[in-house]
Amino acid sequence: MSSLAAGPTAAAHSGTASPDDWSERLRLRLEIEEFNVAYCRALDEGRLMDWVEFFAEDALYVVTARENHDAGLPVGLVYCEGKGMAHDRAFAILETAMYAPRYLRHYVSNLHLAGVAADGTIEAESSYLLLQTLMDRPEPTLQQVGRYLDRFVRGADGRLLLAKRICVYDNLLVDNSLVYPV
Amino acid sequence: MEWIDVAAFDTLPDGGVRGFEVAGRPVALVRQGAVVHALHDICSHQFAFLSDGVVEDGCLECPLHQGRFCLKTGKAMGGPVDAPVATYAAKVEGGRVLVCLDRPAEAEPDPGAEPAPARRAADETFVVVGGGQAAGEAIRTLRQRGFAGRLVLVAEEPQLPYERPPLSKEILTGTADAALCRLIDEAAARGLDLDARLGRRAVRLDAAARRLALDDGATLAYDRLLLATGSRLRRLDLPGSDLPGIHYLRTLDEALALRRAFGSAKRLAVVGGGFIGLEVASAARAAGLEVVVLEREAALMSRLLPAPAAALLEARLRAAGVTLELGAAVSGFAGEGVVSGVVLADGRTLEADLVVVGVGVLPNLELARDAGLEVADGILVDAAGRTSDPAIFAAGDCAVFPSPLRGRLRRLESWQHAREQARAAAAAMLGEPAGYASLPWFWSDLFGGSLQLLGLPLAGDETVLREAPDGGALVFALEEGRLVGAIAFDAGARLRRLAGAIERAARVDAEALADPTRPLDELIASLAAGGSLIASPKRGGPKDSEQGQHAMIDRTPTASPLRNDPDGFEWPAEGLSRIPDWVYTDETIYRREVERIFHGRTWNYVALEAELPEPGHFVRSNVGPTPVVVTRAEDGAIHVFENRCAHRAAEFCRSLRGKAKEFVCPYHQWSYDLTGKLVGVPFRRGVNKQGGMPADFDPKQHSLRRLAVTTRRGVVFASYCDDMEPLEDYLGPEILREFDATFDGRGLRILGYYRNTLPGNWKLYHENLKDPYHATLLHTFLVTFGLLVAGNKSAMLCDATGRHGVMASAKSEGKAVSAENRQEMRAYREGMELKEPRFMNFVQEFDSPWSVTMTTIWPNLVVQREMNTLGVRQIVPEGPNQFTMVWTMFGFEGDDEEMTRHRLRQGNLMGPAGFLGLEDNEAMKFVQDGMLSGAAGEHLVALDPATPVGTSETLISESAIRAMYQHWRGVIGV
Repeated sequence: MSSLAAGPTAAAHSGTASPDDWSERLRLRLEIEEFNVAYCRALDEGRLMDWVEFFAEDALYVVTARENHDAGLPVGLVYCEGKGMAHDRAFAILETAMYAPRYLRHYVSNLHLAGVAADGTIEAESSYLLLQTLMDRPEPTLQQVGRYLDRFVRGADGRLLLAKRICVYDNLLVDNSLVYPV
Repeated sequence: MEWIDVAAFDTLPDGGVRGFEVAGRPVALVRQGAVVHALHDICSHQFAFLSDGVVEDGCLECPLHQGRFCLKTGKAMGGPVDAPVATYAAKVEGGRVLVCLDRPAEAEPDPGAEPAPARRAADETFVVVGGGQAAGEAIRTLRQRGFAGRLVLVAEEPQLPYERPPLSKEILTGTADAALCRLIDEAAARGLDLDARLGRRAVRLDAAARRLALDDGATLAYDRLLLATGSRLRRLDLPGSDLPGIHYLRTLDEALALRRAFGSAKRLAVVGGGFIGLEVASAARAAGLEVVVLEREAALMSRLLPAPAAALLEARLRAAGVTLELGAAVSGFAGEGVVSGVVLADGRTLEADLVVVGVGVLPNLELARDAGLEVADGILVDAAGRTSDPAIFAAGDCAVFPSPLRGRLRRLESWQHAREQARAAAAAMLGEPAGYASLPWFWSDLFGGSLQLLGLPLAGDETVLREAPDGGALVFALEEGRLVGAIAFDAGARLRRLAGAIERAARVDAEALADPTRPLDELIASLAAGGSLIASPKRGGPKDSEQGQHAMIDRTPTASPLRNDPDGFEWPAEGLSRIPDWVYTDETIYRREVERIFHGRTWNYVALEAELPEPGHFVRSNVGPTPVVVTRAEDGAIHVFENRCAHRAAEFCRSLRGKAKEFVCPYHQWSYDLTGKLVGVPFRRGVNKQGGMPADFDPKQHSLRRLAVTTRRGVVFASYCDDMEPLEDYLGPEILREFDATFDGRGLRILGYYRNTLPGNWKLYHENLKDPYHATLLHTFLVTFGLLVAGNKSAMLCDATGRHGVMASAKSEGKAVSAENRQEMRAYREGMELKEPRFMNFVQEFDSPWSVTMTTIWPNLVVQREMNTLGVRQIVPEGPNQFTMVWTMFGFEGDDEEMTRHRLRQGNLMGPAGFLGLEDNEAMKFVQDGMLSGAAGEHLVALDPATPVGTSETLISESAIRAMYQHWRGVIGV
């Protein structure tokens, strides 16, 4: 895996990155950022079945508190092993679950490219803010502040897919319930 | 066209409905007289079994939304349904019901179909399991009523059925021999044509096949089965408890052995001041032994006897020369090779060369439970002893009394109850109308006198004590101005005259009953004649009656909740079926809750031992809203103390968990050891002899506030109360059983935490889990995917106090998950199929009939066993309108990776993002929103009036919520 962890400047100093890395890096960053934008749009617009399509077949999707992640404890508020479980969750939330209507808005930033493996697998990390607006209150609330720990792979059509997304939230206390995926 | 034999005609209740699976198809059979109707068993509206519904006016009504279907045509007749359900041709032949799935019901049945023939009992086999009162009584009754078939008795003891009351009375005193106890002797057994399998244990009951397997390999096929398995002794497991010289008393052999031991013993210690213990004490005194009775509680039979009756009993014991040690906790037994004394928790050893332990009995329910019968604290039966299986009946100690007594189902352990219930069951086994509703009656012979109870007096009742002119005494027990029971000391004849008045709960005014100017026998005569006792007009003032009788009224706080609350809270006049909003929203009530509940006589969950594997490990936790630290000290013991510096109140421990050698408050460096003891105060003696603490400052007086701690199976509880009863007693047997089923002795492995704040009152969470009504209505996830339906086997159990509960359900075998039903559910909603249904698998790993139990342990713990996803939830209240829930999810040591992953996957059901969990959180928020944004009002919790409080036989009930508030009101005083 070539190291992209230190960023362009450090990479240039270390002498391991070729000038090509710059364009490769920009391309990858743009691709992941666009991926995240599309991902967030699907969730913010309530298109949960579309959200499922951002995952590879054997993807792991977990939403967990930072206390668990830091301690190596595996539990997740949401724990989906495989795209099928993501599908079941989206379906259950849309079709069977009872909850107050709400809007969500994701803000994703601080994309950090951690590395690209020889097989093209990309390790990345981003910070996110998740705001929730209920219908009976004027102010939105901060539902989660956290980071995505991601592993991307390429689908058959070359498109990025999530092989893993661990959403680690810093705010230990969840405000009542977490309805939609993060 | 094929006729399928579905059921015996006489197993169908006339006018009722039962569900069957016929060639994979769910079919509801409704019997009306001699005619049977067969309908498809799934409602055409939403997913529910019609066989869980009601038959009325020629229709079958769905339990879910009261959709009604015509019995003859299946046509929708009312309610929210418009589509019909299928009907099937059905006929009765040779006592069997036959159904044809290819033909609708409109077709005329075959000529030759006949109405149900009379039972030919001579061809049948009835089996009775048990060797006590109920078994013997049932065998006799069956033959008396003309049962001509084969009658088999299976008894574990090598004795024909005998009754137990003489064991602790005449047998011990030597005034009678074993023959007195015999209900059926050898000759009678021959006369009854009884096939007695003595010394044999029934090991397995296959209810579906109607077969009973015995421990000798024999299998008995039966047509009717009576379970009279009785109860077994609770045994102590303390150091030295297997020493010779320590006796128990349950069987004839044990009674004879104890009688022999009386001959050589000098000093008897009786552990347990219940009836058996006191009768043994009485017999031992008569045999000339010195006797000491050790009772753990502060009064004799403190749960059964109102205080004045207990005081009378204590006086009798002392008058008979018995040494009575109340509040005495036994911690073990002393002796070299043979018992020489009883060791108490306070360090004393009481000398004794003979010990009898009488600490209660446990019902024998394993056979029934393993067979899938409905079982709570006993085998659930109706008024005629019928269990949930039409061919199986139960009576005696192991059966739960069918009708609520004083608001809950009660298992009665008495001779009279075993006898009457067995008689009723025997009649019902023969298909005869049966039932009984005798008043509970109990007697004991003690120290030359007699103690009798009639009705159901309870410890908290208002009582009136009246002394009889000839030396006896009566204690009347009143509930809300009505006579609910009485206790007689040497006044049995007077007591029996009160039976009618107790049965009709006669209106009785305590003042009138206690009026010394009215002779006792006159009052009894008036009540016996059907009258009430209302307050007499004020007289000049109390004066002694000519007979010099003494009377006394005792009102306990629980019996008479404060009507005039200092803060003006007044409970609605309707009683427990209403809960006013201020219970959930008022600050004053909340402060009382913290003081009297969380800081009062309760055990509060604080941690799991698995979080503290080594000395030095600590966890931040809470007792009520109060932050505490849970530690494991150097000696391995667990300590709990307030997270509040003794100096300036700083919450000094800020990490969620960790490992430390000591705790140092960051503000002024006061330091505490792992037990919470103050060990260091900087500059205690000042600098240069200036400043510093006063000379008399004693660090021992300034340790952190330390709480009492107890653990069970790796779960840690703490209490602000220093003399709490053992956790086992606090939970009671019903709750303890479910607790131990989850914490089954395997080491726990922590999988992680969820924490969420809920904008509602903390009690709403308890109520949610004492509310089986909501489960299928709110949680449509389960219903949609056929994982929970109204017909699943379930129960809502309460402990005796009403504060704890267990909501339990069992994944039903076949019924909810059969291919046929899945087909039905697809029809109900196209496309509703899980892509990864394996996450809903249930890996059977617990010794429990339930696949799901939600155990609420008052006041702050929920134990979640949702199939294989396990967790403890700690309630941390933060004022009346908000609380935090801390979920600690766990698995077991020894789980392989796949099992751990299975638990994690299944975790999607629960927690703040769980398919079920999020719905509960949302619903509770809606409830609090409703109260905070509207005018003050009250909640209606009126479902199931037949069970005012406590364990209910139906899930469409709010009796467990009412039971909780009965307890709560007593503690809060409103």
